[in-house]
Parts: sequence; structure tokens; C-alpha cells
Amino acid sequence: MDNIIKNFKGFLIDQGFDAVETDYEQRGYHLEVVLTVTQVREFAKKAYELGFYLVFVAGFQVLADPETPSPHSGLAVVYQYARHDRQYRIKACALVPDSLEIPSISDIYQGADWHERETRDFYGIVFSGHHNLKPLLMADMDVDVHPLLKEEAKLKSLDAVSWPSEAPESTE
Amino acid sequence: METISTLPPELIRMVISAIIVITFLFLNAIMMGYAERKIAGHVQRRPGPMEVGSHGILQMIIDGIKLVAKELIIPFNVDRTLFRVAPLLSFTPVILPFLVIPFSEKLQARDLNMGLIFIVTMGSVNVMACLVGGWGSNNKYSMFGAMRAVAQAISYEVPILLSILAVILMCNTFSLKGIVGAQQKIWFVFLQPVAFLIYVVAGLAETNRAPFDLPEAESELTAGFHTEYSGMGFSLFFLGEYTNMFIVASVATVLFLGGWHGPHLPYGEYLGVVWFLLKVYFLLFLMIMVRWTYPRVRFDQLLNFSWKYLVPFSLANLLITAVVVKL
Amino acid sequence: MLESEYQEQNRFFLNMGPQHPSTHGVLLIVLEMNGEYVLDPQPVLGFIHRMHEKMGESRPCPGFMPNTGRMDYVCALPYNHGYVSLIERKAGIEVPERAEYIRVITSELNRIASHLLWLGAYLLDLGAFTPILYGFDDREHILDILESVTGSRLTYSYYRFGGVCQDIDEKFVERTRAFIKRLRKRYGIYEKLVTKNIIFIKRTENIGIVSPDMALRYGMTGPNLRGSGISYDIRKNEPYSVYPEFDFEVPVGRQGDCLDRYMVRVREIEQCLRIIEQALDRLPEGPIRSKVPKNIKLSPGDCNFAVEAARGELSYYLIGDGTSTPYRLKVRVPSYSNLSCLPELGRGILLPDLVSILGSFDLVIPEIDR
Repeated sequence: MDNIIKNFKGFLIDQGFDAVETDYEQRGYHLEVVLTVTQVREFAKKAYELGFYLVFVAGFQVLADPETPSPHSGLAVVYQYARHDRQYRIKACALVPDSLEIPSISDIYQGADWHERETRDFYGIVFSGHHNLKPLLMADMDVDVHPLLKEEAKLKSLDAVSWPSEAPESTE
Repeated sequence: METISTLPPELIRMVISAIIVITFLFLNAIMMGYAERKIAGHVQRRPGPMEVGSHGILQMIIDGIKLVAKELIIPFNVDRTLFRVAPLLSFTPVILPFLVIPFSEKLQARDLNMGLIFIVTMGSVNVMACLVGGWGSNNKYSMFGAMRAVAQAISYEVPILLSILAVILMCNTFSLKGIVGAQQKIWFVFLQPVAFLIYVVAGLAETNRAPFDLPEAESELTAGFHTEYSGMGFSLFFLGEYTNMFIVASVATVLFLGGWHGPHLPYGEYLGVVWFLLKVYFLLFLMIMVRWTYPRVRFDQLLNFSWKYLVPFSLANLLITAVVVKL
Repeated sequence: MLESEYQEQNRFFLNMGPQHPSTHGVLLIVLEMNGEYVLDPQPVLGFIHRMHEKMGESRPCPGFMPNTGRMDYVCALPYNHGYVSLIERKAGIEVPERAEYIRVITSELNRIASHLLWLGAYLLDLGAFTPILYGFDDREHILDILESVTGSRLTYSYYRFGGVCQDIDEKFVERTRAFIKRLRKRYGIYEKLVTKNIIFIKRTENIGIVSPDMALRYGMTGPNLRGSGISYDIRKNEPYSVYPEFDFEVPVGRQGDCLDRYMVRVREIEQCLRIIEQALDRLPEGPIRSKVPKNIKLSPGDCNFAVEAARGELSYYLIGDGTSTPYRLKVRVPSYSNLSCLPELGRGILLPDLVSILGSFDLVIPEIDR
């Protein structure tokens, strides 16, 4: 099992993705991938080719930090993929730029359609290329209401809600 | 006293029989409703209605009062005339066949020499009620129900007529009394088993009973053609359905099960009605059991079943009967 | 040209729901139709959207416990199970073995109850009235058994962080064994009444075929996925709790039509019984709750926990920030993904088939809307 994870991780790194192996017992997934906005679709295509299915797409909000090398709006999108044939779960995470736009993967994984619409409802993230980005769970008139956006005072920085970086990080 | 004696006796007879028929009809609906709920209950391993009266025997009467007392809601934008006419249209034609049904040798209002044709014609008027009600309700689900009812009636009238014709060939009369009379020795169900089966299946479809209750298919069309009806409008459809079931069953009894014939009873020419009703209610019991056992067929499967199986089989049966009778 | 114009003119919209008998709750499906043929079904969600995720973020983590039972009210215990396991994983809480066994027994009982209710409701969609009462009859026994330990009949919140709330006694074990015996005897009835019914087979065979690729693209899970022939069950593939200790099979279908989905669920009931039997036989003695700090701190970082609910994969995804309140709590519900394939699956079929497909998906709308 570990072998497969290592192989796949190596494969992803070769393809230019930033993949880190994680402790399943602690986190509940095997591999963490940090994506840039341009890599979102590329990664989804790879995952589809390799037989992963999309578990969910979700958003979360942290304090926007202009100091970081890649400026972001404070919003992030989490994709989770898993496999049918073996125990293998990947969490991929992408920070949303200031334009609030991130490419949609709903043409690769049709199941992402509703998850993206839901994320737009809750956070106002715009999935460019989505064919029908209307409110799904929220009412049509509440198109500008995003219930999961937090008040400024309650926001935490990205580091404050991430695992400490000295967490198990294999050096391969 | 004088006024009565001056009236033509024919008229008195008509009035009395009309009262008897309508009373019987309501009683039948109440009984059938109760039987249906009780049988359904026992099929489903529960007691059924138990609260009102002993073993819930008054339940249907209470329900009837409730339905009469209910407001007749007329939705916005319906065709008011058609909407009001439809329940009457479903109820009236099912009374008329009672005119010719021979309950026993002497208990028959009129022995028309084409009584069977009369019943079949009245049976087909019934489908107009579904169409008018469905069209008048201004509701797409009702419209679906209406269209299904019409298509179903058209395709199931053919096998019904063909299976009836096989019997007619054997006894050479359309008079119901004549047909029963011809079964003195042997019931036609033994001579015409195929025609009997076809008639029963097609009769189920004709009365819109499950598994052929597509015009009202409540899991697909909410309630089909009577979606918008409430109170008395609904109960007239309900009465119509049960009475129609009774008529289909009594025609089957007349054609195949030997009508009033049975072991000898005193005053047989009147008390034959006991045998007649026993046979009718036995058929009705079967219809109820079928309803609570089977899922609903799909619409195209229903039509296919009629045109691909029932019609060819009844045609073949008719042909064989004709040849045998001729020989 | 004329033909297509005619087709175009005859298109109309039909609102199926939110009060339609076979949408099983307040689901609206806007159907674009031509006659009885469905051209484009579009589900409209959110009629009972309650924003459970926001509630999860705005109170300390034990406060979310009752919410978990109210998402999927038909099969609430696996939802409890996922949530407590998530917090246990995040906060590093140990669970006594006896508690895990009790969790498995009660979860599986709840799963059977859910499948029985589905069986009846599905047949009701197909127009047969009787099976639902047979299903309710058996389900009632389960509810009675569960009521005796959990205190509630539908929206359970029985599990606690580090264990369960109340121990099971001899009587519970006895009643459960009696129920297993009873249900096994009832298989014959269901088989005669439903499985071998010719009309039922005609209404489900070759209808709503979900190919494995389609299931993958839409992220379908649970019996709906297994009906397509893919053996994927979180209890087997990503074992949690004490499931690895039990011997059970994962039934799969052949081609992914409604009949396969039906058969998978029916055969799953037997596997659930097997799990319960083994768990009762090996039920260890010991405490039912471990010591848990009064104020559970959720350390910074994210964490995921997936369980197999009655309808498929249920994933809780949590981001902690060092306090006892989750910073973000995402609930991935199975029916949401399962239903999302309807626009593709329902194109060009008859209305009764759409009802059949919807029923075979085993939807619970409060779970979809959350």
C-alpha cells in the first residue's frame, strides 16, 4: 500500500504538482496536494485518467494575507479524491486569487457541478467555465448572500488552521 | 290511493326500481369500500378500520358524510362547466346498465334484446368522464391521466368485445337473459376459458383498477384525472369506479359463470339473486386481491400487452369458436 | 424540419414536486417533456436547506451532535458514527472496544431499518401498496430495540466522544437475536411478493442503467455504485471502527439497472445480519466510555473521516483552529452526488421510468439539502 502511495506521489511531483504524504491515522487522507489555480484542471484530468472519483468540492475562508508570495483573497477550495479499488484518499487544495475566479472542473467530473454551485452559494467563489452557475441550495433571490463567509474578527490566518509544518513530511 | 292507481303501472315500477337501484348502488359502494379496506388490511397484516362501530363497520358511512360535508374546491382558471359535469358523467352511465342486468330469472328491469350492446356502450361513456375531468381541470397531471384513460379504454375495449363475441357466437343472442338461459347445463367458463381470462384481464383495465390504474397512478401523476377534485366531486368518481367494477363483474357472471344458476333454492326465480351476487362478489374479491398484490405496469407495457397478446389471442379464440360452432 | 418544429412546439414544462408523492420529501424536479417522454429533468434543491455546516462552525463540537441525526433521519446512527469518529481522530481520543462493538451493532440495525423502509417506499413508487407495510412491520421491531438503548426512535444522537451514552444489556442482545431470526424467516415472503413478481421485474430491469464510468464521473457511492458492479464499500475498503474483525461480503450488481440496485440492497440486509450476529457473539466486556476532557480542543489542521452510511459514502471534513469550535465543517452526503446524475440518466425516458429511477436511488431529501 505504501508503495503505491509513494509511486503516485513521485508521479505527481514529476508532473509538477506539490504533493506531500500525510499520516492517514491522523488526518484521514493519504496525500496532500497544493494546487495553483492553473493546475486545478490539469490535476482533475490526471485524477480522472487514473480512476479517481471526486468525493467533494468545498471552500473555506482564512485571513487574506498580502505578505505571502502568492496574493490570495482568503478563500480556498478543497477537492477530495478517492479510489474505488484501494484505500487511497487525496486532498487537493487551491487558494482562490483576488478575482475570486477559479476554473471549473465540472466538465471533467460532472459530479463537481453541484458541489461547485454549492461552494459559490456559500462563499461567492466563481467557477469560470461552469455551464450553469445558478444558486443551488440557496434561493434565487439570495444570489449575493454567502452564509459561510466569516466576520473579519473571527478569521484566522492560513497557518493558524493548518497542520504545523514539522508534521510528518517524508523526504523520499 | 286514487292518485297512485291513476298513474300508469309502468311508471310506478320504474320509480321503485330506480330507488332500489340507487340504494343498492350506494350500499354496494359502501360495502365495497369497507371490504377493500378490510381485505387490504388483512393482506398487509394489519386489522384495517377498527374504530367506528364494531370492527369499523360504520367507517365508510362516516367517510361518506365527511365527503359530502366537504367544500367542493374549484381551482382558479378551470373550465367550470366541464369541471362540474365530469363527476356526473362518470356516475350516470354506470347506473343505466342496472336496467338490463338479470339478477335472477324474474329480477330484471328490462330484457332488451341487445342488452349486452347496451352495457358495453354505457361502459365506454365512462371514459368520457375521465377525459372531460382531466381536460377541465387545467392541470397537466390531470391531462396525462385523461390521455392515458382514453388510450387505455380504446385498446382494452377491443379484446373485451372480441371475447364477448365468442360467447355470442355460442348462444346466438344479445339478450342477457338468453345468455344465462343457455348456460343451464354448463357454464361458458368451461367452454370458453380463454375468453373468460381475457375478459377478466381486460375488465381490470377497463375499470382502471391496479395493476392497470394508470389514469390515476398516484406515484406518477399524483391522482391523475381527479387530482383537482374534492368532496362530492371526488366521491362521485369513487362511486363510479366501484359501480363500474360491479358491472364488469356481473357481466362476467352473466357471460361465463352462469348468472343466477346454482344449487336449487326455494323461490328459485327470485332467490337466484343470491347465487348471482355470490359469484359477482367472488370476482370483486379477486379484483381487490390483485390490486393489493401487484405493482403498477408501465403505460407502454399496458398497451403492448393489449395489442400484442390479448387481441391476437381473442381473435384466434373467436376464429376457433366460429369454426367449432359451424361444424 | 417540420418534424423537429413539431417536436419543438410540443415541449412543455412539468413541475414534479415539491409535494409530489414519489419525490420522497420536498424535492422539485423541473421536467422538460414531450408527451410522456422526459427530455430534460433538472432537480431543484434547497427547500429544506438548514445550513448545518454553519451550525457546525458556530458552536463547540459536542453541540453539533444532534444535528448529525437530523440530516439523514432514516439512517441516523452512521451519521453519529462518522461525526464522533472524526472528533476522536482529531483530538486523539481512544474508544473502548465494547463501545465500538455497540456502535457497529446499532449502526447495522439502523442500516437494515433504512433498507426495509426503502424497499417499501420503492414498491410504493412502482404502485404496489403492500410491501411498505411488511417493511414497516419489520422495521418497527428494530425501532423498538434501538429505542430501548438510545431513547429515541428516529433522530438518534446516541454516540458520545469516546464511547456511547448507554450500555446495552442482556435483554437487548436477546431481542436482537430474536429479530435476526424473525427477519431471516421473512425473506421468503419478500421474495414471493416482490423479487419474483413479473411486473416488478418488468418495471426495473434494464431501466436507468448507470455505467461504471458514469458512476465514477458523478462520484456515486453506496448501493447505487455497487449496483453497477463496482465493489466499493467503505466498511471494507477503508475500514473503520471494528469492521475489519467481521466476516461479511459486499454484494454487487451486474449492469447497474434499477433491479441491480434493488438486489444489492436486499442482499445487503443479510450481510448486516451477519455482522450483527458476529458482533453479538464476540461482544467484549469492559467500559463503554473512555475519559474525555470536558473541553475538547481541536488542534490546528484538517482532518477527514469517511463512513459507509446506508446510501453511500459519508465524509466529514473538519478544519480545526485550536479551539473547541470547528473552524470549518464540511459534510459530504451520499445522496447529493447520487442524485446529481439524474439530468444525464433521465434524458429521453418515460415518466414512469423516471419515478422508478428516482425511487431506486433511495433519496433522503433533508440529507441532500442539509
